Amino acid sequence: MAKAFKYGLKGIKGYLEPAERELLRSLFDDVISMLEPEQRANEDPLAALVGLDTEAREPSDRAMRRLLPNVMKNDDDASLEFRRYTERSLRESKIGALKAAALSLDRENLVLTPDDARHWATALNDVRLVLAERLDIRDDADADNVHLMQDWAQAEDVESYLALVYNFTTWLQESLVQAMVHSLDARR
Amino acid sequence: MTLSVALGPDTRESTQTGTVTSGDVLTAPDVPWNLVIWNDPVNLMSYVSYVFRSYFGYSEAKANKLMMEVHKKGRSIVAHGSKEQVEQHAVAMHGYGLWATVEKATGGNAGGSGKGKGKRG
Repeated sequence: MAKAFKYGLKGIKGYLEPAERELLRSLFDDVISMLEPEQRANEDPLAALVGLDTEAREPSDRAMRRLLPNVMKNDDDASLEFRRYTERSLRESKIGALKAAALSLDRENLVLTPDDARHWATALNDVRLVLAERLDIRDDADADNVHLMQDWAQAEDVESYLALVYNFTTWLQESLVQAMVHSLDARR
Repeated sequence: MTLSVALGPDTRESTQTGTVTSGDVLTAPDVPWNLVIWNDPVNLMSYVSYVFRSYFGYSEAKANKLMMEVHKKGRSIVAHGSKEQVEQHAVAMHGYGLWATVEKATGGNAGGSGKGKGKRG
């Protein structure tokens, strides 16, 4: 069983079983592949280099829309314009955090520096946002229902399995954030 | 597909003298903008509060107050500034996975423009 993250003298320390590491690695990889911008044949390499994506558009997938939301509620044109300037680098920073988190899973000891911890927190958050869309969590009542699913022996279909995975990542992120809050408090 | 949102050609003729008469010029940088964070059933309350503390440097009390406002009222204005500033914050919030938008500040009653349907306490 995984242990909750704890803040201590050496940083934020966690413990995960090999199977839990495998699970997290595959979740991080899944979200990375969702976020990886597709290569376009006729793309202007200079535009790509400066983070401009003239063909970016609002994603059709709900989970992707949650990861890469519109910047204005009631102005799709302005949101799209903004997206063309910012979405690529947002994708890249999310991918960077997910990759950093995945990489630290290779280390024997899970001791996180402040940067690692930030990467882990956002990576877990993005994973949970995607899982929540797949589980159709729309409001607090839905979230509470999913939360009831705690027993791995009950995992008999994809949805109950996803619910268990969601609850595991929720618990892990909560323990990490608590440890990060302790480190904030300790620094002042 | 026509997604032409190019900024219109600015064909202002400047043959006249320098007196500015157009009202449009007043949309310039001082108009304040708000950064709004929206509630969702996924983000942890502890995480949202942590982000407000660590990114904006808010006190624990202020961060918690704003977080609770998001949670209970569905949204909260967590920062003000020029359009560019709040846009930059919004991208940072999206990086953290928070649901953020920007909006032009509407004079006095900034937060109260919702329809007030929800009666949940």
